[in-house]
Order: sequence, then C-alpha cells, then structure tokens
Amino acid sequence: MVDQEHGVVPGARDVREVLSSDPLFRLSMRRLGNPVMLGAAVFVLVLVMILLGPSTESRFIYTDF
Amino acid sequence: MRGLAAAAAVLLALLTCTDALVRAFFPHLERLGANFSGAYLDRELRALAPDRGAVVFLGDSALWGYGVPAGDEAVSLLRRAGCDCHNLAFEGGSPANTYAVLRALFAAGAAPKLVVFNVNQKEFNPADRAYRTLHPAVEPVAAPLLSAGERALLGASQARDLNGRVDRFVARSWALYGLRADLREALYGDVDAVHALQTVLRTATGATARAQADHRATADRFEGTYDLTPLASEPDNVSLVYLGKIGALLAQRHVRAVAILTPTNHALLHDFIDVPVYDKNLRYVTKLLERDGVTVLNDDRAIAAREFFDNDHLTVAGNRAFAARLRSAIGLR
Repeated sequence: MVDQEHGVVPGARDVREVLSSDPLFRLSMRRLGNPVMLGAAVFVLVLVMILLGPSTESRFIYTDF
Repeated sequence: MRGLAAAAAVLLALLTCTDALVRAFFPHLERLGANFSGAYLDRELRALAPDRGAVVFLGDSALWGYGVPAGDEAVSLLRRAGCDCHNLAFEGGSPANTYAVLRALFAAGAAPKLVVFNVNQKEFNPADRAYRTLHPAVEPVAAPLLSAGERALLGASQARDLNGRVDRFVARSWALYGLRADLREALYGDVDAVHALQTVLRTATGATARAQADHRATADRFEGTYDLTPLASEPDNVSLVYLGKIGALLAQRHVRAVAILTPTNHALLHDFIDVPVYDKNLRYVTKLLERDGVTVLNDDRAIAAREFFDNDHLTVAGNRAFAARLRSAIGLR
C-alpha cells in the first residue's frame, strides 16, 4: 500500500539511509571526499575503460580466402 | 567546488604523466601490429625521419608476414642480419596504400636510403578490398596529404562528423587514447581482452584447430581473386594509377627503390593464373616502374610451392628463402 501523500511504501527505508549504513559505501565516500582520491579514482576508471574496453575501431578483417 | 577543481587537477596530472610514459616507453615493434593505429604509424614515421640509412619496406600482407610470428618474417630476418630495415607493410595493403604511406613518410621528413615495396597482381583486381580503400589507420595520417584528384580515386573517406573529428583530435593529442589498439594488442596479443579470452577458450576446446583444418587453402577458394584483364588496356585501373604515382614520387625525391613482384604459389593457382596475360601484366608493371628508375626484382616464381601456406603467404621457411633472395637487392652481404 502506497502512502498517497508522499508516494512511498510506508516502512520502506530511504535509499540514502540504506547506503549510508553500508560500511563499504561509507568508506568509499570518505575516500572520495578527498580530491586527490577522487581524481585518482576517475583516472583508474578511464584507464580501465581504455585498456579493458572492447575494440570498436574499424579495421580490415583479413579474409583473403 | 574547490574540491572538484583539485580532483580535476589531479586527474589531468595523472593523464599527462601517463601520456608522457606511453610516448616514451611504448616499444617500436618488429612490424606494424595486426590492428595498428594511425597514431602508431605516425609515431613510426617520425622516428624514421632522422635515420638516413634506413631501408623501408612497404606493401601488403605477403611482405608483412601474415601467418608467421613477428620476428620470423623476411624483413625481421634481414634486420637481424645487420640491415637497418623497417617493416611498414601491413595486412590489407595495395598500391594506393603504399603510395599513401610513402607520402606520409616524406611528409614526416624521412629520406630513407632505400624503399622496397611489393607489387601483388591480385591487388589490380577491383574486387580486392584494398584496391581503392585506404587502411583505416593510414587514412587519418595520409589522406590529408593527397590531392583532391587522388582522394577522388579512393572510396570511403574518414568520418567528417563531429564524432569523427573529436576522435581524431583526442587520438592526436593523447597518446594513451591514440595508441589504445596497439596497447591492447601488446597486452593481450589480440584486438582486445574479450577476443583474447575467446582465443584461449577456443584453443582449449580444440575449436581453433578444427577451424584451421577447415580453412585449408584449396584452389577453389581463390577463384576470382586474380582479375587478369590486360593492364595495358586498363589505364584507369586504380592500382595501376597509384603504382605509376609511386614510381614518379620516388624519382622526384631521388630515393633508390626496389619493387618486388610478389612470390606467388603457382602450383596452387595454376588454373587461374598460368595464362599468358598474367606474365604480360607482370612485364607491363615492370616496364612502368623501370621507366621511373625503380629496380624490379621478379620473385613471382622464385619460391617453391611447399614454402607457401596459401596463394601468396609464406611459411617460416618460405620467409627465410625470401629473405635470402632480398639480401643482394638491398645491398646486404
């Protein structure tokens, strides 16, 4: 049954509440709150995307016969 | 806000450092990769510029060494024998591609001692996929150097939309992105991690061996590969036009050049190519190149059939025999 005024199921926990109680999320947020760590994390993400990403560059596929 | 600016500065610093490291330490490979990028080709051409004693090999998969590991193809064997040889041939080559790389080589400031390129009669066939198409890695480097008339002879051109322009700009400015295909190939030995994993699985399950057994080179697979229209009656043949341009460009630059008529497996292709017009075409291209001072080495029938694993690709032993034939042509004792 949905609370018509607020559009939520009574008793359901807010997503922020759930996340903020998760130790891993809290640790990540604490670390990423540090600008150096945030920049490094985005860098690692970019690096992983480039090195592990699928090859989408158009190349000749050698099919001689 | 200040925190975000600091994070952006850290990110930029790390990206710049990586860029510098990739530029400095990414190796110069024995030959172009199977999936080489325009950025890598550009880097190799610039590295060649100060080397006035270089012997540069241009051409297609026969010279690149398709089917044999890097290091076992003829050009690598010559390098190990003391030649300052550089293999810039690649899979999917053609006279148009050879001319385009030659233009890029000269534009980079290179003046090699000798240019060696192969001429493969199958590439005069308009059905050949490289007949009027530049390799996707060659196109961004060389197409801007070609005249409007030269570009008009070629088919599809690089993407001119915003996406294509941004992609080329980022690839030019940031080595990690520009060399991503080469990095992946160096890391995984394949085009990307997923393909490398697939290869491991296929090898483990025997699928690779079965595919190779099914993929044996039989004569019927090459029906239509060679279009033996007399070249003398085809002045507009795109490969012929570009072959003429190669000779003229080399003469204009006063660069000594050797053209190799590609070793071909006549035992396999007997039904298709052992006809008078095939040899007549070889004589025609020989005369065309010699007119511009290019030395032509006719290796068309020089290698025994057992040294091929298909129509024009040599085994490791075949590459050794090919290298032995090339030694005197490049002045190596």
